[in-house]
Amino acid sequence: MGARLRDDTPAADPGGGPPGIECRSLTAGYAGTPVLRDLSFRIEEPAVYVVLGPNGAGKTTLLRALSGILLPDAGEVRISGRTLGRSGAQEQVHYLSHVDGIPDGLRVREALEYYARVERAARSDVDRVIDRLQLGELSDHYTSQLSAGQRKRVSIARILLRERSIYLLDEPTSNLDPKVAGELRALILELSREKIVLYSSHNLFEAREIGRYVLAIRSGQLALFGRMDELRSAHFVIGIRTLEPSEALAGLPRQGDYYLRELSGPEEVPGLLRDLEARGAKIREVREMGNPLEDLFA
Amino acid sequence: MTTVAGGPPSLYSATLRRSFTTGRFFLVYGCVVSSLLGVALAGARGGSFSASFPLLLPIFAVVGSMGGLVIFANDRLKGVLEYLLAYGMTPRRIFLDVLQTALTLTAIVLSVAIALGVGVFVARGHSLTLELGLLLAAYAIPMSFASSAFAATVGMYWTSLSSPRSGMNSPIGLVPLVGILPAVATLAVIAGLGIGGQLSPDRFVAVALGAAGLVALTVGILLLSIDRLLRREKLLSPA
Repeated sequence: MGARLRDDTPAADPGGGPPGIECRSLTAGYAGTPVLRDLSFRIEEPAVYVVLGPNGAGKTTLLRALSGILLPDAGEVRISGRTLGRSGAQEQVHYLSHVDGIPDGLRVREALEYYARVERAARSDVDRVIDRLQLGELSDHYTSQLSAGQRKRVSIARILLRERSIYLLDEPTSNLDPKVAGELRALILELSREKIVLYSSHNLFEAREIGRYVLAIRSGQLALFGRMDELRSAHFVIGIRTLEPSEALAGLPRQGDYYLRELSGPEEVPGLLRDLEARGAKIREVREMGNPLEDLFA
Repeated sequence: MTTVAGGPPSLYSATLRRSFTTGRFFLVYGCVVSSLLGVALAGARGGSFSASFPLLLPIFAVVGSMGGLVIFANDRLKGVLEYLLAYGMTPRRIFLDVLQTALTLTAIVLSVAIALGVGVFVARGHSLTLELGLLLAAYAIPMSFASSAFAATVGMYWTSLSSPRSGMNSPIGLVPLVGILPAVATLAVIAGLGIGGQLSPDRFVAVALGAAGLVALTVGILLLSIDRLLRREKLLSPA
């Protein structure tokens, strides 16, 4: 496979405007039934944008529409100033599907060489991603012999074969063990220094950890688009764990070892702690019990 | 890393190579059974070889060319087609790569079967007749290519429009049976026209080539109409 791979990667100029995604009244779906309705937003800053929403909200459909897999039923998607579907636009986008997309009947190296052919990447790029994703020991294994996590790693290696300005990742950490998932999150953060990364996930804590922006979809419409650090829960609940039982916390509801206390916001926490300590409570730990992203699923 | 430009290239050669592994059962079956049949008929009587062997070839050509369709069906299921669409490949380009693969596999089956069958036929002391040449040139070869193209194209439509069912081991289902329909229908027409006497060589050539042309035209229309007949999302994995 890939016998005609180049030995080195030719430089190329993608042209167009500065990297960015613009959706203008985008309506898209399947077999004429819209899943996304009249969606409009604009992304220009390199960062991780977490796409959140309940099952069936349209997260995968959005990423498919932005990658050019699905054509808009109405509206328009512009990639770096170019209308998607016209020359050059799709070539700026990397898409990682929630299914692996690994061809059957190939060894790992052959599968990567197959991708490299599609990407017009070089043989040296295949070697590089094998090293980077630590696939060396697996490179002679047939892809059918790999575990789900290993297949995902091969799939991720694919999007590192060539550099593009926009990365659309549909649940990239699903099926990965915590160590590999952590490495992937680090990789995504590294990418996002210079690239736009849209990242769909059901893991709210992971989303909060790596996302700078959140793009929430509900019933095919944009429910929220904003900075992650500006999100606040409708109900700000903290858990307080003490070294020993305290009268100061008596009567509060409990969740495991934590006493729960609802506040209007994090700015009330220092005052509350001072008050509890003044009343003799020996506080061991304080943590936010909810995740403001949970409200997006309510 | 550098930034990429230029659309994805044809994957014909990659698909063909993959079909040698993933679809090898069909290719081996097509080559071996058609060759055995040819050798057996050539070893019997000259007349039965000339009259039967060319008529049966399209069936084995269709079966032998199924490797491309197996790749297509697997790729759709595994999300490879979704990946190809994301990288700018059009459904028509995907179909054409598989179609080219099917035609190449057909050429392999025909080459092996005809070389062995005719070789043994001649080695047994039979002479090549006009009837044999006519059946091979006007019917077996064009109908084999047309039927394989028809089977691959209809098969890709069929696979795209259907969901895999539990209990179905073959990803291509009944496509080989559909693929041989044009050849069977042509034989029926030729037999019907020949009732009451032999069909003249001229009329035979006209009917056989006309039928192959009609099948090829159908394939061409299906390929040209792909954007109207098949929405892109039909190529996405049902997983």
